[in-house]
Amino acid sequence: MDELLKLWQSTGIANFDWGQVLMIAVGCGLIYLAIAKKFEPLLLVPIGFGAVLCNIPVAGIGGPDGLIGMIYTAGVETGIFPLLIFMGVGALTDFGALIARPSTLLLGAAAQFGIFATLIGAVALNLLPGFDFTLQDASAIAIIGGADGPTAIFLASRLAPDLLGAIAVAAYSYMALVPIIQPPIMRLLTTKKERAVVMQQLRPVSRLERILFPFVVLTLCALLLPSAAPLIGMLMFGNLLRESGVVERLSRAAQNEIINIVTIMLGLAVGSKLSADKFLALETLGILVLGALAFSIGTAAGVLMGKIMYRATGGKVNPLIGAAGVSAVPMAARVVNRVGLDADPHNFLLMHAMGPNVAGVIGSAVAAGVLLALTGS
Amino acid sequence: MPQSTLIADSLNLMAIGMGTVFSFLLLLVLLLRGMSWLADKLVPGATEPALSPAPVMRDKQAADAELIAVISAAVARYRSQRRH
Repeated sequence: MDELLKLWQSTGIANFDWGQVLMIAVGCGLIYLAIAKKFEPLLLVPIGFGAVLCNIPVAGIGGPDGLIGMIYTAGVETGIFPLLIFMGVGALTDFGALIARPSTLLLGAAAQFGIFATLIGAVALNLLPGFDFTLQDASAIAIIGGADGPTAIFLASRLAPDLLGAIAVAAYSYMALVPIIQPPIMRLLTTKKERAVVMQQLRPVSRLERILFPFVVLTLCALLLPSAAPLIGMLMFGNLLRESGVVERLSRAAQNEIINIVTIMLGLAVGSKLSADKFLALETLGILVLGALAFSIGTAAGVLMGKIMYRATGGKVNPLIGAAGVSAVPMAARVVNRVGLDADPHNFLLMHAMGPNVAGVIGSAVAAGVLLALTGS
Repeated sequence: MPQSTLIADSLNLMAIGMGTVFSFLLLLVLLLRGMSWLADKLVPGATEPALSPAPVMRDKQAADAELIAVISAAVARYRSQRRH
């Protein structure tokens, strides 16, 4: 009889508590969104399954001695995974549009306003009962506005590890929602005439310029903002692998195998942070609301900067491309292209939007560096 | 920390943050312009990518020719062996 009782006590049924059941449901919900609705499936499938695994009682997969717990400690707590992903992003990104028209960097800068406006929003939420965000928490939440998953995870792992699960889920959900959130804001802030502006074709960029580019960016970062050097350094390293043209194999590894393997591990590790006591909290709701706010403000700021450039250049810049300043490569650029086509079916803005789009990646890495330098311990 | 100083801190962070982001990227605009100018001085007229499609085609044709040679040699050898 004793043995039978012992066996019963080691079953899942005897050990489940409601929080775990709910979190397994949340994990399955994420997997459903990924499979049925195609919401960022590359991340939400591993995150969702990681959440399911880590909420199985007794097994302790997400605990300090469990598989996913150890992956988390080794890869996310140290910041290694998001940085390796950044290397892959660098190897995947063609900065040609940015080199051909550097002024689009300003659009990438303006869109980062979403990050800093959300910072105020997060701190202001403290006025409501139940919220108690520190400046570090607020910074990690605000970076969702950068629309850059790896940057958000990197910053959250440095500044607010407790909120990492909610922040990562919010960041990736909003990236999937870019095509829904952005167009209304873009239409609201521009006139039909502005949306139909046809932009001058980009000049071709020489190989030497492409090879020098990573060094120029890295030099500036090293001189002014070393706290952003891990992110920008890996991004530029990946890009040099791509553009140098002599390490095709390494470049392909960074673009495919490494980024894929790291994505699996990162997803599982983030899933392990979806535990009931951390995720089923009022704070998560606040983070989701603030994330949407961050995104919308960033889009609006980018479009407004686009309008300033439209005026300043005498109508040569289509203000829509400003919306691509929130990174989310290449989704935001595609949205710009689509809204542009709505206004004029012969006006393809994709290449023009890639400039601000990749500028947004650099911009949010710089913003992360600033937040890290000023609020990090 | 009292709420009022936290808000003041975050406003401060916003001003410094946006200032840094803008000045960083503004400087980068200038540097990139300088870089393009310099690159054009060093290698004038090199606006086309170094690898034009033509040599790639020729490489491919050469590779094909080599492949055909290797395969026909193998076939010839196989046939000659079968005859014995």
